[in-house]
Amino acid sequence: MADQRTAGTDVPAVRLTSISKSFGAIVACDQVDLALHRGRIHGLLGENGAGKSTLMKVLIGLVLPDRGTIEVDGERCQIRDPHDAAGRGIAMVHQHFSLVEPLTVWENVMLGDTGRFDATAARRRVAEISEHYGLGVDADAKVGDLSAGVRQRVEIIKCLRRDPSILIFDEPTSVLTPGESERLFDVLRLAVRDENRAVALVSHKLDEILHATDEVTIMRAGAVVRRMETADADAPMLARAMVGREVSLRSEASALGLIETVAASAGEDEDAHHSETGGVADSGTRVPALRLRDIVARGLDGRVSLDGLSVDVFDSEIVGVAGVEGNGQSALTDLLSSLMGVDAGTVEVDGVAVQPGRPGAMSGAGVAVIPEDRHASGCVLDMTVAENLFLVDIERISTHGIYDPAVMRQDATRLIEDFEIQTAGPDAPFWSLSGGNQQRVVLARELSYSPKVLVAAQPTRGLDVGAIEWMTDRLRQVADSGVGVLLISSELEEILQLSDRVVVLFRGRIIGEMDRADVDLEELGLLLGGAGAEAAA
Amino acid sequence: MSEQQVPQPAAKSAEPAATAPAPSRLREAGVAAGMYLGCIAAALLISAVIVWLTGGSWQAVFSALLDGSLRAPGRWGETIGIAIPLVVVALGTAINGRAGVVNIGQEGQLMMGTAFATYVGVRMGGPGPVVIVCLLIVGALAGAMWAGIASWLLYWRRVPEVLTTLLLITVASQISGYALKVDWLLLAPFREDRSVRNQVSDQLAGDTRLPRIDIWGNDFPISAIAVVLMAVIVFLLFKRSVWGFRMRMLGRNARTAQRAGVSTVKYGTNAMLISGACAGLAGALMLSGGDFGNYRFTPGFANNIGWEGLLVALVARSHPVGIVIVAFSFAGLRAGSGFLAATGVEREISQVVLALLVLALLVPPAILFIRERRRALSATRDRT
Repeated sequence: MADQRTAGTDVPAVRLTSISKSFGAIVACDQVDLALHRGRIHGLLGENGAGKSTLMKVLIGLVLPDRGTIEVDGERCQIRDPHDAAGRGIAMVHQHFSLVEPLTVWENVMLGDTGRFDATAARRRVAEISEHYGLGVDADAKVGDLSAGVRQRVEIIKCLRRDPSILIFDEPTSVLTPGESERLFDVLRLAVRDENRAVALVSHKLDEILHATDEVTIMRAGAVVRRMETADADAPMLARAMVGREVSLRSEASALGLIETVAASAGEDEDAHHSETGGVADSGTRVPALRLRDIVARGLDGRVSLDGLSVDVFDSEIVGVAGVEGNGQSALTDLLSSLMGVDAGTVEVDGVAVQPGRPGAMSGAGVAVIPEDRHASGCVLDMTVAENLFLVDIERISTHGIYDPAVMRQDATRLIEDFEIQTAGPDAPFWSLSGGNQQRVVLARELSYSPKVLVAAQPTRGLDVGAIEWMTDRLRQVADSGVGVLLISSELEEILQLSDRVVVLFRGRIIGEMDRADVDLEELGLLLGGAGAEAAA
Repeated sequence: MSEQQVPQPAAKSAEPAATAPAPSRLREAGVAAGMYLGCIAAALLISAVIVWLTGGSWQAVFSALLDGSLRAPGRWGETIGIAIPLVVVALGTAINGRAGVVNIGQEGQLMMGTAFATYVGVRMGGPGPVVIVCLLIVGALAGAMWAGIASWLLYWRRVPEVLTTLLLITVASQISGYALKVDWLLLAPFREDRSVRNQVSDQLAGDTRLPRIDIWGNDFPISAIAVVLMAVIVFLLFKRSVWGFRMRMLGRNARTAQRAGVSTVKYGTNAMLISGACAGLAGALMLSGGDFGNYRFTPGFANNIGWEGLLVALVARSHPVGIVIVAFSFAGLRAGSGFLAATGVEREISQVVLALLVLALLVPPAILFIRERRRALSATRDRT
């Protein structure tokens, strides 16, 4: 322990000073300082979009910073690419694995090596590392047969093989079961305590930061907001630091008196329907536009993706589904897109039961969807813009199964104008549009069949600032026109800005619900991290 | 997922070129035409060189091809007769291709169609026109049944339809071969016109044959007109029907289609059944039309028409009008090849010449297809 301390207070393994990086108009990192010490696990906490991953990519050489300096072991240097980083002893275990499934573990570990290599030695080395860290990985197993947890350990072996002095883990537990997470942290401890490596753990889960790290840096909107010894931190404190924010221009948060710390600067221009919508209070008497009851569903891999989920959406309200990604968001969208059946539970639209999983059942009942991945289930890239505007309800412009392309083109032209879609014309192929315009086509189509409910899954992901604003405004208009909106987003900012009611999705179920006006950021932060899941269960 | 997803695409879409210009249709058509002409010219040139090198006369070869397909008396009627089943098979293939289902077993479906049609045509009796209609319908149903087996296996147990349709050809060939061996099925009763006990069916009676049209000594069955009509109908279905629209949606993006109410199983099965029915119908038309096998079913009856129809659909890129044109060209090559033997050029060499010409027709659609894919792919890569 003693030598660790001295190592820790000495020259840090890595020191980042004033790192800034922006992508176009978006500032991902703004003058960020960070120091990783040998023998310590450093937690990097923040919401999606806070700049954690960008910072780590600077460290690994995937992103070149606009400004700022990097020192490795006190020596100032530039890291140009991951090879460069590897040469300086920096290795990263990415959130998404890069493994070749048909190959065996040792083959995957050796991938990327050049020159002659010795298969027996490679196998032995993999076995050694596995043994030493208690990873329990069989060098000859085929990666395709392994579970996510074991695959991650293969990634770890890939890193450790080069004996790095600095190890970075990006959201390592997002694909792991609690048991597997526990094992991972044991490995981390071993690598840090006995081998004096420096570890950075990027996460947005409070409990694992508290559990596994020695010190923690909290980032928000590209900047470091707080830095402390983990021993001095507790969950409410971290949650507040993570989600609490300065006055956001477009958010009514301050107007609603949500954030105690903000200066009274924002205007009183809250929308009328905010105060009108009673939310939970009068839900007993009104028929919800959408009602999900005790939905249990499995993904293709057989894992339970929705586990007793229940939620109501009333007309004219926006219900925000907050939650860390991977807690059932895509399953919920798939369910409401008629792409997935259920094991148990019911779906009702306007009081009428709808059969989940039957093709077209949801859209037929009036559930419009802006999917998370529009290329997967929201459009047909090879069809024209006009055709994409009529994918769901071609019947509207057809009689006896025959439609007139001229009418389609005409209607499409009108929609193109109404929704300000930038395109060469209705006959342009859909793939020729930019992301923001593709999203407009999707929205235009989904609204054109007078839906009762609109499900918007990560509706602003990948859009630029202007397109985000446009989409946000439209969503509010949609709710004002009487449609119930279910907003599924991992951007807490977006949820808080738009929703009338917020529910928290954790491990496939709703573990918390609150009116927008009653949102307590601290409590919300705790819920996002899964605290209180047991209480709800 | 985390923050790296957000900034990068945003930066990309902030670029001024938000909308890629859609390529002009006219220009595209010009490029395509140029490619066809170039490829055919190249094929002819290479053929001429090969024939010349092997001591033959290339003028004689090309002249024979032209004679056999168009110029000699009665030959373009023959070409039309061959084109009929090619068009029907290709139209069916275009439909299943549109729905994103693969059928490469047309040859087998065609055999089954012919076998069942023969049974009806020979055994049913009654007024001729009724028999003709019945044998065509039964032929189509038999083809659909054969394709239906593959479709059923696909949706019941996810057996790849590429395999099943292909392998069912062999089964169909064995079954129809067996049926031609036993006289309670298809084998013709022993008469003086069946001197040896070979595998051959009875001949269709005169009034159960399709009437033939004769124009200036060129004669072909009236089904030619029906087939052109069929192409027009398929064209309209593709262009204007909700059904065709949804088929295309399914073929291009099954998930989007399912969300929009297109059941993969239902529409996929329909596509496969129709495709098989077309192949079966093609067989029945061949039998009752008279250009193949002299109104008799024999083991070699299908004569690769199923395969060639598949090829026609590929070359025409599933466009109904294109199918009619390409089918006529392929039929011309088939008819013309009969005349090559008289030129004194060796059979192997004349086969090479034919293959080169087919290849010339295949290359441009392949290039066009790859170019389109690339463009769409690069566009998605930029924008996701």
